[in-house]
Amino acid sequence: MQWKHLVIFFSLLLFVVGCSDNDETESVSSEASEPFKLGLILVGPRDDNGWSQAHFEGASHAIEKVGGEMIVVDKVNPADSPNITVPQVVDDMIGQGAQLIIATSDDMKDGILEAAAAHPDVPMIHASGDSAWTDGKAYHSELPMLANIMGKMEYGKMIAGCAAALQSDTGRISYLGPLINDETRRLVSSTYLGAKHCWTEVAGKSASDLKFNVNWIGFWFNIPGVTLDPTVVANEFFASGTDVIVSGIDTTEAIVEAGKRASAGETVWAVPYDYEGSCSEAPSACLGVPYFNWGPSYLDAIESVSNGSFKATFQWLGPDWKDINDHDTSMIGFLKGDGLTSENSKELDKFTKALGDGSLNLWTGPLNYQDGSSFLGEGESATDLQIWYMPSLLEGMDGPAE
Amino acid sequence: MFVRNDLLFLGLGILVPVCASMLVFLFVDAPPLRATELFFEGAFGSSQRMGDTLMIWVPLLLASSALIITFSAGMWNIGIEGQIIAGAVAASFVAREFEASTPVVLTAMIVAGLIGGMIWGGLAGLLRVRGGVNEIFGGLGLNFVATGLVVYLIMGPWSRRGIASTGGTEPFRPQAWFPTLDGLRVSPLSVLLAIGVLILVLWFLSRTSYGLRLRATGKNPLAASRFGIRTDAYLLLSFLLAGGVAGLAGVTQAAAVYHRLVPSISGGYGFLAILIVLLAGFRGQWILPIALFFAAVSMASFQWQLQLGLHSSLGGVIQGILVLSVLLLSGYRAISYMRKPISEEGDA
Amino acid sequence: MSLQLRSITKTFGPIVANDSLSLTIESGEIHGLLGENGAGKSTLAKVLSGFVSPDSGTVELDDEQLKLSSPSAAVSSGIGILHQEPLVFLDFSAVDNMLVGSPRDGNHTKDLAEEHLLKICEQFNFSIDPLIPVQKLSVGERQQLEIARLLWLGARVLILDEPTTAISGSQRENLFQTIRSLAEAGMSVIFVSHKLEEIQEICSRVTVLRQGRIMGTKHLPCPTSDLIDLMFDRELEPQGRKSSDSLGSICLELCGQKVTTHFESGKVDMTFRTGEIVGLAGLEGAGQRDLLRSIAGLDDTVTEGVFFRSRDIGDDSYIHRMQYGFHYLPADRGREGLVDGLTITEHVALASPQRSIATDWKLSREESKKIIDKFSIKGTPESVPASLSGGNQQRLLLGLIPDNPTVLLMEHPTRGLDIESAAWVWKYLMSLTEEGTTILFSSSDFDELMTYCDRIFVFFEGAIIQELASVEATTERLGSLLGGVK
Ligand SMILES: Nc1ncnc2c1ncn2[C@@H]1O[C@H](COP(=O)(O)OP(=O)(O)OP(=O)(O)O)[C@@H](O)[C@H]1O
Ligand SMILES: [Mg+2]
Repeated sequence: MQWKHLVIFFSLLLFVVGCSDNDETESVSSEASEPFKLGLILVGPRDDNGWSQAHFEGASHAIEKVGGEMIVVDKVNPADSPNITVPQVVDDMIGQGAQLIIATSDDMKDGILEAAAAHPDVPMIHASGDSAWTDGKAYHSELPMLANIMGKMEYGKMIAGCAAALQSDTGRISYLGPLINDETRRLVSSTYLGAKHCWTEVAGKSASDLKFNVNWIGFWFNIPGVTLDPTVVANEFFASGTDVIVSGIDTTEAIVEAGKRASAGETVWAVPYDYEGSCSEAPSACLGVPYFNWGPSYLDAIESVSNGSFKATFQWLGPDWKDINDHDTSMIGFLKGDGLTSENSKELDKFTKALGDGSLNLWTGPLNYQDGSSFLGEGESATDLQIWYMPSLLEGMDGPAE
Repeated sequence: MFVRNDLLFLGLGILVPVCASMLVFLFVDAPPLRATELFFEGAFGSSQRMGDTLMIWVPLLLASSALIITFSAGMWNIGIEGQIIAGAVAASFVAREFEASTPVVLTAMIVAGLIGGMIWGGLAGLLRVRGGVNEIFGGLGLNFVATGLVVYLIMGPWSRRGIASTGGTEPFRPQAWFPTLDGLRVSPLSVLLAIGVLILVLWFLSRTSYGLRLRATGKNPLAASRFGIRTDAYLLLSFLLAGGVAGLAGVTQAAAVYHRLVPSISGGYGFLAILIVLLAGFRGQWILPIALFFAAVSMASFQWQLQLGLHSSLGGVIQGILVLSVLLLSGYRAISYMRKPISEEGDA
Repeated sequence: MSLQLRSITKTFGPIVANDSLSLTIESGEIHGLLGENGAGKSTLAKVLSGFVSPDSGTVELDDEQLKLSSPSAAVSSGIGILHQEPLVFLDFSAVDNMLVGSPRDGNHTKDLAEEHLLKICEQFNFSIDPLIPVQKLSVGERQQLEIARLLWLGARVLILDEPTTAISGSQRENLFQTIRSLAEAGMSVIFVSHKLEEIQEICSRVTVLRQGRIMGTKHLPCPTSDLIDLMFDRELEPQGRKSSDSLGSICLELCGQKVTTHFESGKVDMTFRTGEIVGLAGLEGAGQRDLLRSIAGLDDTVTEGVFFRSRDIGDDSYIHRMQYGFHYLPADRGREGLVDGLTITEHVALASPQRSIATDWKLSREESKKIIDKFSIKGTPESVPASLSGGNQQRLLLGLIPDNPTVLLMEHPTRGLDIESAAWVWKYLMSLTEEGTTILFSSSDFDELMTYCDRIFVFFEGAIIQELASVEATTERLGSLLGGVK
């Protein structure tokens, strides 16, 4: 009996398809005079109190300024959305009239390259990528409209490391790392440099008493059964004597666990990451948060698309040293947390100021890699290329580098 | 032969989930009509979207084909996800290690995926017939092992240079990609493979003596053994075959969808396929439209998120409603049929 | 009180199982239902007890039309059915089984159920501990429990569909006594059976069905031949076993064979000749079944010292022994014999030795048509076991016996067959022995044993207590041997 019904089913289907095929052309031909449409692709949920939320709020802020609209698709990763790929999302966003697409994860690299190749004249940004860096190792000259934006979070991480070292009693600082790549190696190294400087130069303690240790969960956030569980890793850190965790992952497990332990009477703290508001998970256990402020750069990008000047540029933007927490100008900020003592807070301000006026450059030799080989010779300071493509961890850090 | 009651149930089977879905849309403040429109638009609105829907259809069909085999043998093959993964791992191995022309590499990948899945399925089967481990627990365990294996490979021996991320391996060489038509992401080859395998599986089960013995084993192992059937061997056979077919789903996922190995390569399609086969009442031909519908809901839920700003898990909710209402209906139907055992089973 | 059936019709596709049946059953009456296999007896019983709904027709009890839309509706309108092997929840206690399916009201509490059960036990001489798990009860006791349950739920009409096939002789006596006292108390009883002597013994009237129609109703006792005339349009030619001097060489030997579990006297020495028919008599569970299964080499038995044509086959499994031409026909056709959900054609294909990948379905279909013809199965090649009447399932099972078996091991080969078919089946089985088949079968039917066997072994509590040549066997002798009295 059933075959007959299958035939009916499929003919109905074809009918429906036939009818709806016309809609497609309509939605493509959106007018330029309409409000600006931005397509934002997030790797995690838009309310993760971390990386994805920072992008979401930055983009919302920018789009509000120009009075446009935003199409957001979040949780675009194979674990959460097995049947959605980045090129597919991009196609649909363009179909809906998006004039600028922002892909916001390192994990979307292959996907956004494929999408950019398929739509070479649609402006796109791969945040954290390097495909538009003419000097970079992965330059794609054939993609004229795929730009990159990234913040010089190295500064934020140095401040974070410094705060951790100033506050730590035990000298055991642990870094809750995501996955291992160039970006994460340079960020954890910056944290270490900041910590080492403040431990020895500011607090005047011996370098050998500082234990800096990193563990990687395997991805930007927890994927049950696939990554290590960051909650477990954080607790292991604390259990082994760590009193400050600096988080490098997209989500807030480190500060949440620190908060739990602090309210149980332990003297432990954490430094979350990415999103300005993430100290709110446990304010008194929070030493501060280095965060991205994507709003200004996204606003620039939107405006350049509107006036036709958008190009595949590579932007690696630092803080506005006049006020790193200025929402209209500074790409990178550091918001101090309630956990930081006022004394340490003052020291941290001094440290920040020194970074800003150029009197202190922590990327200065002599610096060795973890295996003892030389990274920077005496007095030599690192180039952007050297920092961006950090191949290993630094001497003095514990933990795998790849 | 169609009884009046059947039509009634078919009607209810469509009406009830549709109404329930409408209520859900109202509940989340979405316009139900627009959402319905988006369902069709999102899944079938253009050749590209249709292709994307088919891209989800393919693993669902393959996984369902695999499950029909084990269900026919009376087994709950919960280990299907692991078998998909094993197939993908084996295919990825070929894609990474062998450089040759596309037809050669793809053939080798398909064969490797088949074998990889068979090994994983065979393990569950062996645990069941030799070790006396219930296939549900064995399968669950093997799923964990498979995920562990794939994470180990991606983080370890197969990691990208200088990177340790569970994000996935380096993309395969283009020779190891299933070929596509211009402007479409779906590979016609994978669609043909899936439909071909389903037909082959249905033919095997219904027309061959091995299939017959396998079904007899599933329906009544005791009586089957009185017919001289080595039921253990047939249970094992069912797991081997199902594993192989599931492995093919892994091959298409790796070579036609992701073009690389990712930890969640099975995409949960194995579990979804269990629902599909249950809904289809083990009748093969119903798998085609039901799997298509599930694929369409997955596509549509993306549109609902994109265009109505609805939560991304809404598609799962709708699928759940569908399954629940159909199961409730068929439960009711079974009760009302118990009273008149008409020889309806014959039309399978 | 009287039960009135008015033109009940029930069809299954083209088959008219009940063709406009009208019948009145008085209160206090035990009414027999007779008819060949597939005549429609079980269907009628199912209609009355709410398991199937009729296409048309009404049922009235005391001039009140009943709604028999489900088994529970039927019971609450006063009609209950006792199945051959009552469906019960084995892990539950006896009272809990009474509560399952009872209406949830103040009249059906656990205490009341227990009280009722004890009362019934006293009344009818049952001995069921209310708290005993049902799996510890024998089939006969389960029937008693079910009767108690039906009475508790208010049944005034009791239907029994072949109730005596699975219980022992003494249990049968007990059952009959119960039925009689129920009838005396004013209940109506409908009693379905193929055993004419049972019908004669217990029923006051009998209705004969043939092909879904009523052929007539008789007051009992009446000449048995009258009943047979009504049941079949052909003459029955009585058939007996001819003298057994034509037996061949030794085919099967058991020496010091060990049979597991129930069979206590470990040692058996027996020989069976080619072409011999050997009957195994005994109460249910006395050991006949264990002997058959261990000769078959079935998995739950251990066998040693089994020689087939002088060859030690003790280590071979049943599947292996099938290759020597062994065939085992189980008593429980639903659980062990037939695969429900597979058609007759598929059963035929399963049983046939073809080993090519693609089954020759045309051939199997032809073959199944032949079997349907030969064994006059009421069904088509596409019928599944569930759509066959009990007797027709048994015929299918017999039809699946391979062509030239060497050793045929059967439990109750003609259980559920009408007498005509039983006679026909034995004619067929005897023709097999002429081709060299050795037959061992268990049976609870003395006539069958005495008519067809060359030898009879009588089992008592796990041991063979007597070997009889068929000429030595009489009903009285067998009866006392079954009770363990030599
Ligand atoms: N569920 C069913 N589907 C199709 N046909 C059926 C079904 N149940 C019974 N029949 C058919 O109805 C007819 C009457 O069957 P029924 O079981 O009433 O016979 P019966 O008199 O009890 O026979 P038996 O003595 O063999 O038990 C048979 O031909 C049988 O094949
Ligand atoms: Mg019957």
